[in-house]
Amino acid sequence: MTREPATLDVPLVELVDRLLNRGVVLTGELTISVAGVDLIYLGLSVVLSSVDTIRRAGAEV
Amino acid sequence: MLLRAIVAPDDATVGDDLGLTTVSGAAVAALGSPWDKGRVAGEPDLLDHHRIIQSVFERVPCLPARFGSVFPDEDALHSRLVKREVDFASQLARLGHRCELAITCAWRDNGVSSPVSIVPASSGRAYLERGLQRSRGDREREVRAEAIAARLRTELATEPAFVRHRTCPRPAVAVSMSALVTRDEINGISSRLERVGAQLPDVTIVVQGPWAPYTFAVSK
Repeated sequence: MTREPATLDVPLVELVDRLLNRGVVLTGELTISVAGVDLIYLGLSVVLSSVDTIRRAGAEV
Repeated sequence: MLLRAIVAPDDATVGDDLGLTTVSGAAVAALGSPWDKGRVAGEPDLLDHHRIIQSVFERVPCLPARFGSVFPDEDALHSRLVKREVDFASQLARLGHRCELAITCAWRDNGVSSPVSIVPASSGRAYLERGLQRSRGDREREVRAEAIAARLRTELATEPAFVRHRTCPRPAVAVSMSALVTRDEINGISSRLERVGAQLPDVTIVVQGPWAPYTFAVSK
């Protein structure tokens, strides 16, 4: 199981997807404002799988 | 207060060791960190969340919290916790001693084996044919990804409920799979996946973990 250039972004995206989309939730105030998530999104640049989360966050804030 | 993880009451002292705040219920305890109201989260906060959860998970069984649950104070967290603690205790008993492996199959061509020209189509017919070509390519990728996922599931040889996967979640990825395993299974699984990876010419398999069971800890 080697890592090739095409897969370099995979580990981080897979982790971020789980941090934002999985795990138990106790409904508290959602801290990820649209602007905040945009910052995360831009910072990681490839968090494509979390776009739905971003949209949900935007709808709930 | 930002929720990090849920642990059994008897394990709550791990919070003290890690500098976390503990909010105890009767059946479970919540571990959290101070978080200023209105603070905007950034990439470091997200990765810190993972590091803290991993620190807890390496010491005691836990349910990882999805990033973003903030409460004004410990009382607010406690009132939410007690409403859900029976469910959380049940999940801890079921998942706590298992860990998650993230198995990702990335297309070796980065998902662009049949790039569609960026030059504008010269006619309506050319436009439609290009769309048809793209659609056909997507379907072929999906079929191939499902076949790869089936092969991985066979190799994992674990209960179906302990494996979840998505095919083609992103252009560069064929399969994103999560497997719930015990720690003593990890080496054997890694060896089998490595063997499978050598037989799949079109994808590269990346295995990450063991992580806390993010994918299998759910809120009903």
